[in-house]
Parts: sequence; C-alpha cells; structure tokens
Amino acid sequence: MEKYMDADKRMTAAEAIGRFVNDGESFVFANCLYCMPLALTHELIRQGKKNLMAFQQGGIEEIDQLILSKVIDRLVLAYNFRAGGPRIVSPLDRAIKEGQVAVEEMTNHTLLSMMKAGAMGYPFLPVLPGIKVTDVVRRNGFMGNQRFARLPDPFTGKDTLVVKGFNPDFALIHVQRADRAGNGQLWGAMINSKWAALAAKKVILSCEEIVDTEVIMSSPHLTIVPSHKVCAVVECPWGAHPSEVLGHYDYDFPFRVLFVGSAANPDAAKFWLDEWIHKVKDRQEYIRHYVKRFGRDTLEAFRAKPFKSVPADYGSTFSRDWDDQGYSRSMGMTMQEFVAMLDAKGALIDGN
Amino acid sequence: MGTKFTIQELIVSRAAKELKDREFVVIGQGIAMAAGVLARRTHAPNSVILTEAGLLGIDPFKVPLHIADPTCTRGFTYSCDMIDIFTTVLNQGYVDVTFLGVGQIDRFGNMNSSYLGEPGNYTTRMTGAGGAPEFIGYAGRAILTMSGGTFVEKLDYFTSPGYLEGGDSRYAAGMPEGSGPSVLITTRGVFKFDETSKEMYLAGLHPGVTVDEIRAEVPWDLKIADRLETTPAPTEEEIAILRSFAPDITMGRKLQLEVVMKQVINLLSKGA
Repeated sequence: MEKYMDADKRMTAAEAIGRFVNDGESFVFANCLYCMPLALTHELIRQGKKNLMAFQQGGIEEIDQLILSKVIDRLVLAYNFRAGGPRIVSPLDRAIKEGQVAVEEMTNHTLLSMMKAGAMGYPFLPVLPGIKVTDVVRRNGFMGNQRFARLPDPFTGKDTLVVKGFNPDFALIHVQRADRAGNGQLWGAMINSKWAALAAKKVILSCEEIVDTEVIMSSPHLTIVPSHKVCAVVECPWGAHPSEVLGHYDYDFPFRVLFVGSAANPDAAKFWLDEWIHKVKDRQEYIRHYVKRFGRDTLEAFRAKPFKSVPADYGSTFSRDWDDQGYSRSMGMTMQEFVAMLDAKGALIDGN
Repeated sequence: MGTKFTIQELIVSRAAKELKDREFVVIGQGIAMAAGVLARRTHAPNSVILTEAGLLGIDPFKVPLHIADPTCTRGFTYSCDMIDIFTTVLNQGYVDVTFLGVGQIDRFGNMNSSYLGEPGNYTTRMTGAGGAPEFIGYAGRAILTMSGGTFVEKLDYFTSPGYLEGGDSRYAAGMPEGSGPSVLITTRGVFKFDETSKEMYLAGLHPGVTVDEIRAEVPWDLKIADRLETTPAPTEEEIAILRSFAPDITMGRKLQLEVVMKQVINLLSKGA
C-alpha cells in the first residue's frame, strides 16, 4: 500500500477527484447513510468519470445519481433505499433492465467483512454461515465465485463460510474534522467507515472543518482514518448535505424528496442533475444556490444544537525522569552524578 | 368508541406488544423502528435498542430516518461499527429480537427483499438484503411486519432464512436452536408458525377483516387457528405517542411522499 506522507494535502474537490480518480477503477463509500461524501460524489459526476465499480453498504440517493450520470457500471450492493416504494421505476431499476449496470447482491455483514479482510491484508475472513442457504451465496453476479467460499474449520472440521478480502482503488469519506495531513475524525454512526477506508488503497477525504494537528493529538480516539492512508483533504462545509452530520446539521428530508420525485422521470432527473451538480462549480456554489432557491432560514433550520462530548483527558505530568531540580526520580542523582556513575562503572566508550 | 386510527398505527401497536422488557432489540427502518420505539415508551422501558450501524443504547425521541441516524437520540451508550454489531453482539447471542419488514414471504417464513423477477429479467429492485439475513439468522426471534409485500409459493430471490423447508431444517442448517420468525403482522391479520411443522398459519384478524379476504392473498392452502384473536385497537396513549413520535409512520409512505412533496413545492415557490 502506498504511504501518503505530505504534511499538507489540502486541495479542492475538483483537484482531488481529477488527480486521484481514473476511469475504470473501483471505489468504496466509506460513509453510508450517515455523513455521506456527497460533495465528492457530485465531483465524480461533474468530471464525467466512467466505468467505475462501486461498493456500497447502504445507498440513499447517490447510487441513482451516479447511475443517471453513467459514472458506474458495476455495483456491489447490500442495501439501497426505495424511497418511492415499488410503484416508482427508479433509475437503478431502469439501468439494471437495460444492462447499463451489473449488480452483485451482498449483505451488510458480508460486504463489510470483504473490506475488513482487505484492510487487514487477509485473503479471506469467516462470516456468519447462516446465509449459505440463501441466494446471496448461491446466485453469483458479475463477480462470479470471487465472493464466497466454504471451508472446513481447521480445528473442528465444521463447515464454515468465508468471504474474499478486497482492496478498492480508492475510498470516499466525509468526516467532521481533519488536520491538513488528513488525520480524519468521525463520530456518530460508525457503520462501515473504518474498514472501508482502511481497505482502500487511498482515501479521498472531505471534512466540515480543518483543525490544527494539536486538536487531533488531544483526541486520537476519534481518528478513524490515519493520514498515511489519505491522499487528499478537502475542506467542505455542508459536504454531506442532505445527509446528517452530528455537531453540524440534520438531514434535509424535503430536499431528498425533491430528488426522489425527480429521479422517477428521466427529464426531471436531468433537470435536477443540471441544477444541483453541473451548473454549480463546487459545494460552496451549491449551498449559495440552495440559499437563493429556498432561503437562508430553510438551511439554518437544519443546523445542529451543541451536545458536547465530555473531553477525554490525555494529560500526564508531561515530565521526564529528571525533575524540576534536575534530580532523577528513579535514581535520586543529578545528570552530573549519573555521568560520573557511568564512567566509574566503565560503561562509557572512548571513541577517539 | 375509541379514537380512530390508521392501519399503520394498528400494525405498529400490535408489533410493539411482541417485545418484552429488558430485551435487546435490533431495529430497521419504518414500521419496525416505530414498533421498537413505541414498546420502549410503553411496556418495555428497559429494552435496549440497537441498530446495525453501531448505535447501541439509543433513546430515540423521534423515529430515526434510517439505521444510521444518530439525530434521533441525545447520545447513546456504545458506539461501535457494523462488524462489531454482527459479531460481538449478534453472533454472541445478545440480540433477543429483530424486527424486519417483508417484501415477499413463503409458507415457512423465508423472505425476499432483494428483487422481483428473475436474473436477466428483473422487474423491480427492492431494498436488497441489508442486515436482514444475518439478523433473522441469529437473533433469538424475528418479528415480521408486511405492508405492501406479498405471500408467494416460491420466492423470486431467497434473501433471508425463515424455517427453510420447515420442521428442523433451519436448525440442521446451523442456525441457533429456537431462533426464527415468531410472528408476521400484515395489513389484514396476524400469522404465527406451527411449533413442529414450522408452517405459517393464520392466528388473528384485524378488526373488520374476514378469513376469505386473507385467503385471497395467500397462494397456498393456508391453515387457520381454531381460535382467531382479534387485533386490539391501539390505545389512546399509543396513538398519542405514535403521532408525536412518528407522524410519517402513522400516515404511511404513500401519503408521506404526497405531503412532503407539497411542502417542497411550497419551499420552491418561496425561494423563486
């Protein structure tokens, strides 16, 4: 795996997607349902990326948006909302029927186990075997037999079910905060984020705010993706809208319904994509357009009220063995006495 | 005469009664979520609600939009990831109950929530498996609700294991002894599963529904319990809780889309 060591990886979403995404690659959504990386997803669409293969645990609107824009042609999927119910023909329905996209059916547990195995560098990982009787295991899609296998437990001989480890080319993730190097901190619903991000060969990260590394150093338990995995850091307030981000904003249900209503009809869908993706340059313009269209109050109504986590105290005495008077706490001597002792014991080497 | 109620309120109230206090319950979205929340607000205040997104011990003040919606609760007690939920919580036997919504169901409670039609001849994609196969596979029992789904002789796609071919076949396939669907609540009645054969039978009717109406929806020769319960109407308290918690569940999805669409149009005209 490539190590990304730059201290400052800040760039625009356009630069990040332009530099790090190639047509035909595979990628995973390292947030699903919650805190979705929608600004980054829209950039894939804006740049007309093609023939991507997507891993998605749980989709809401982004799958239909990618399908309508012909960005993905293979989809490994555990769950995708049917917001309109079975009466509405969704873009995904149409694309499957017309052969525009191939779908591989997985479960949440097994899809994420593929990522976890990949993240750990394991060739495969055992999963709960109950589903071996179902079509999820029995019917293969475009991945053929590269998902499940049955093996005897080497210790008991019992039949077990394993999934293959995967390492997607890149992951998209949106988080509350990160430093310039990309140490990304996420809280709320952790779902698949850790394993999906760590499985990917590189992570394109957007965040609500960039913070000093000092903030990260005082709260490392919140870091979900370490900077060496991250190739690009995009500061992007409202970057997950219309999904929710704890500490920042709630989901915007009416806006979602606007897309769902549009998606059912190809012309209306094209109009929506033009208005909210192609005719805006980036997320900032998208938000400006939103405010113009619906009013500042409509947006502000989704703003989160604070409910602060009690900070964990990462403090210690911050002192070395030598105390303020220059005495060692463990030896009861000064530095001078210490060196004299080393000399007396014959522990010092004369290099001349 | 009690307060008038919607069919969704009846289903949610009946489903909520299946949950006992101090149980661990995994909930999905929609009706199932509302049933779990209602139970916790009424007779099961010490139940522990968790979702597969890694939210354990949530105390919802509204029905979450989806399984990963942390805005439904003012904090929670354990934040973990989805693998943790399926392994350290579910696989270790901590989950007593799972609520699940049904797309297609057969006589042994096997379910399809993936797609309708055949491979190469898709007609409609439903939601996909999500966490359903493992939850129904390994939770202590499953409480099923169905509104808009169908009974079928043969599933188009076998997503989630009920009692397989009936009898002991589920447990012979390795799923925990005693687990499986315990009840199915539809828009018309309540169904249970025979203790030995594991075949589904009609156990109760919603007010005003006849056995013939149910038979017309079931493509096999449905067995009927000797004594049919009549589903009790939701109480005033339950209705009040539901309407304040989950007006969207109360009205159902079709009406919800219509109402919210109207709101969107209002917003659009306000900005223009």
